Amino acid sequence: MTYREELFRAMDVLAQDDRTLFLGQCVVNSGTFMYHTLKNIPLTKRIEMPVIEDTQMGISIGLALAGYVPVSVYPRMDFLICATNQLANHLDKIAEMSSGQFNPKVIVRSAVGSTNPLFPGPQHCNDYCDSLRSSLRNVDVVQLREAAQIVPAYRQALDSPRSTVVIEYPDLYDSS
Amino acid sequence: MDKMDKQRLIDYEDSIVAAFNRREIASPIHFSGGNEEQLIGIFRQIRPQDWVFATYRSHYHALLKGVPEEWLTEWIRDNKSIHLMSKEYRIVTSAIVGGHLPQAVGMAMAIKLKGLDERVWAFCGDMAAETGTFHECHKYATRQGLPVTFVVEDNGVSTNTPTQDTWGRQCAGSDNVVRYSYQRVHPHYGTKENPWNRGEERKAGAF
Repeated sequence: MTYREELFRAMDVLAQDDRTLFLGQCVVNSGTFMYHTLKNIPLTKRIEMPVIEDTQMGISIGLALAGYVPVSVYPRMDFLICATNQLANHLDKIAEMSSGQFNPKVIVRSAVGSTNPLFPGPQHCNDYCDSLRSSLRNVDVVQLREAAQIVPAYRQALDSPRSTVVIEYPDLYDSS
Repeated sequence: MDKMDKQRLIDYEDSIVAAFNRREIASPIHFSGGNEEQLIGIFRQIRPQDWVFATYRSHYHALLKGVPEEWLTEWIRDNKSIHLMSKEYRIVTSAIVGGHLPQAVGMAMAIKLKGLDERVWAFCGDMAAETGTFHECHKYATRQGLPVTFVVEDNGVSTNTPTQDTWGRQCAGSDNVVRYSYQRVHPHYGTKENPWNRGEERKAGAF
């Protein structure tokens, strides 16, 4: 199966869990490549958000504190780093801050923007995985380099007690 | 829980002040004081099933939510005053200015989605109330009809920075914003006939 087909399967796996909600820009309305991998998911599980990256991450944490497993969607890592306050200062630290009373789990779905066939410039195709890893001690960062990784990685993110940032590579969408 | 009145709040905070001054607590603490009556009035509306999202200055909030003094004292003496958390009493705080506000909105969203008889109370200082985060949270929660009340605790300063002086006191009005409306011709990315189409996403017009 192709990378793209595995992403469809992975999203279906996530959607089958009653706890999950998908939120972000272009999860209900088209406009980014990720939208197409979500369009089979019931609308009741999708929440279209304004462009408020850090606030979206905080809202995701709040939902997680209430028992949901939010799948918080950021179409590019360049946009995800706008949410670093909630990601590094809060999602990564709340279990420590609360002495384990709260352990909000969020699955962050993002991607390194494609550079082919169009080069999108310096703000749309960066891979910040290494810098994220160095900033996060309780949140896992997983890079999806091959199609075969995709479903197991999202299953692991769903089953893990920890939050996970999952990074996709749209340049690989047609690979298998 | 015994009724927590003004003098009891003051006495409690004074006991922590004394412990801090004896160097028995080796962590930063932000003490409350002077806002007892206001908080007692607000907390009359806050029920046990409601959630409180507060700041790094939250001893009074915890006591008024019902947290036992002994538990709170142990938490503070464990150097955790600035991130006071209680799952049992439904208290979440952050030591980052405004950091708890989006989380409060998320909790309120969950309450609405689940149809619960609960409410979120989100406390913040006057500088936090001027931040973009506050405005995003307030606008989103209000327009989405989420069960959250924002409480701005205005002492005029953030650390020692005078909040309104830093923002400027001159009322600029809205004559320095120009806005125009238009109907877009092209899709968000490229063109309808995008010659660079490749794969089903782009054929479907997503780019």
